[in-house]
Amino acid sequence: MSERTKPRPRITPDSQPFWDALRERKLVLPHCAACGKPHLPPGPVCPFCFSDRLEWRPASGRGTISTWTVVHKAWFPAFAADIPYNVVQVELEEGPRLTAKLVGLPNDRLKVGLPVTIDFEEERDGITLPRFRPVP
Amino acid sequence: MAYSIRDQTAIVGIGQSEFGRFLPDSQLKLGAKALKAALDDAGLTRADVDGVAIHLGWPLGVDYDRLAEAYGLSLRWVSQTWLHGRFVTSALQQAAMAVACGLASVVACVTAISFTRERQILGGPGDAEGTREDGGTHGESPPYGLTAPAGGAALAMQRYMALYGATSAELAAVPIAFRKHALKSPHAVMKTPLTLAEHQASRMVVDPLRLYDCCLITDGAAVVLVTSAERARDLKQAPVYIAGMQGLRSGRDEFIFAPRGLGINQQPARREQPPERDLAVYRMAGIERKDVAGLYTYDAFSPVVLFVLERFGFCGPGEAASWVQNGRIELGGELPMNTSGGLLSEAHVGGWNSILEIVRQLRGAAGERQIPKARHLQWGTAWGDSVIFRSAR
Repeated sequence: MSERTKPRPRITPDSQPFWDALRERKLVLPHCAACGKPHLPPGPVCPFCFSDRLEWRPASGRGTISTWTVVHKAWFPAFAADIPYNVVQVELEEGPRLTAKLVGLPNDRLKVGLPVTIDFEEERDGITLPRFRPVP
Repeated sequence: MAYSIRDQTAIVGIGQSEFGRFLPDSQLKLGAKALKAALDDAGLTRADVDGVAIHLGWPLGVDYDRLAEAYGLSLRWVSQTWLHGRFVTSALQQAAMAVACGLASVVACVTAISFTRERQILGGPGDAEGTREDGGTHGESPPYGLTAPAGGAALAMQRYMALYGATSAELAAVPIAFRKHALKSPHAVMKTPLTLAEHQASRMVVDPLRLYDCCLITDGAAVVLVTSAERARDLKQAPVYIAGMQGLRSGRDEFIFAPRGLGINQQPARREQPPERDLAVYRMAGIERKDVAGLYTYDAFSPVVLFVLERFGFCGPGEAASWVQNGRIELGGELPMNTSGGLLSEAHVGGWNSILEIVRQLRGAAGERQIPKARHLQWGTAWGDSVIFRSAR
């Protein structure tokens, strides 16, 4: 199995600006123009006040690991060569949590609360996946 | 409460196929065996069944129309949930509501699955859920290789361990307890004891979940027949009344495999005691939590067993991992759970194997697994839905 068979993110009309920004190596979040709160995953309305007035703002890219796991089983053949690989949830400074992976740290040092900062994978098939690195 | 379904309906028949791996029978054949057994148990005939609630329909199990056609049923009410085990409670509740509302007289709740033949539907390339618009429902993130339900349970348990200092060895008390129960169930797939050393030596699947923290992948069918309490009293078996129920919790503060407030996905990270709204099942049944003689849950992964205890307030937030030690959830303990072995050690029949066990217990027919003087048993899940069953005895 090649890299190419890894699943691509399913981009919806609601999340298109999120992925467009990532191709420019920028992390943006949908904010509510009515109540001011940001949210993830990108939705059609503000989940807090139900307003339609959403706007995209740059995120700091900083956060902490709120939880993590290391996958040891090949559910997906395309990931078999990567085993064991980590998946983390990062609580961004702005509040919402983003699922991604962490690079630049051995898996046995993954820890809840670890400060991290945004990084980007190489663009592949028009997609740039966000990832995180430990804060130096 | 203006209207309550309390004790208006009852389970009057239970049936099952054999449980096992790589069974040769079709899913429909397994279901037919279970339905015949349930009808025989209840003293009813096929013609009495006018409603069906299918749990685990497409893309995993059988669909209602093919089932009705194959079994020659004539239905006036159907309900069907898709793929997920989480809808076990919904299927049973819908059956009870349909009967109570007069939409059907006898509803067969049917789960008939061959997980071993449909293996690739769970977390593999054949799993369409993670890649559909707006993604999977267990925190899946397919581009990063988090594609199976186990991943969501792992994310929740990892944070739980970090917050409360719980350990894998403590978590092991759950599968070890259920294995002990399975050894007393003639239907159980797992036939040998599980030790702490074996649990700790078993391979890591998705950290911190080891092999024995993940449920079995098996084949089998189970059928539960629901009818009105009035009709139930004239049938062959002592009725097992549906005394109270509450629905599945969902919202931004919920994650399917975490208690409220754990901080998984977009949940607020703030734990508290269960609010009154989440204890409605006891009120409807007219009992207190302490009146529950045993708790049964959808144990897809061992952490959700801890989480259900905290969700319903059997222990406080963060206490479950220590609470389950020293046989507390075993037969003979303070709160026996999943006394036929659950999904972890009896079989994965979408949780219905535990519903069958509840019925056997409340009939006083659980043999060496019998919980003495069991009058109320609770089915409750980590995602907050529940049914309390009352014995007629």
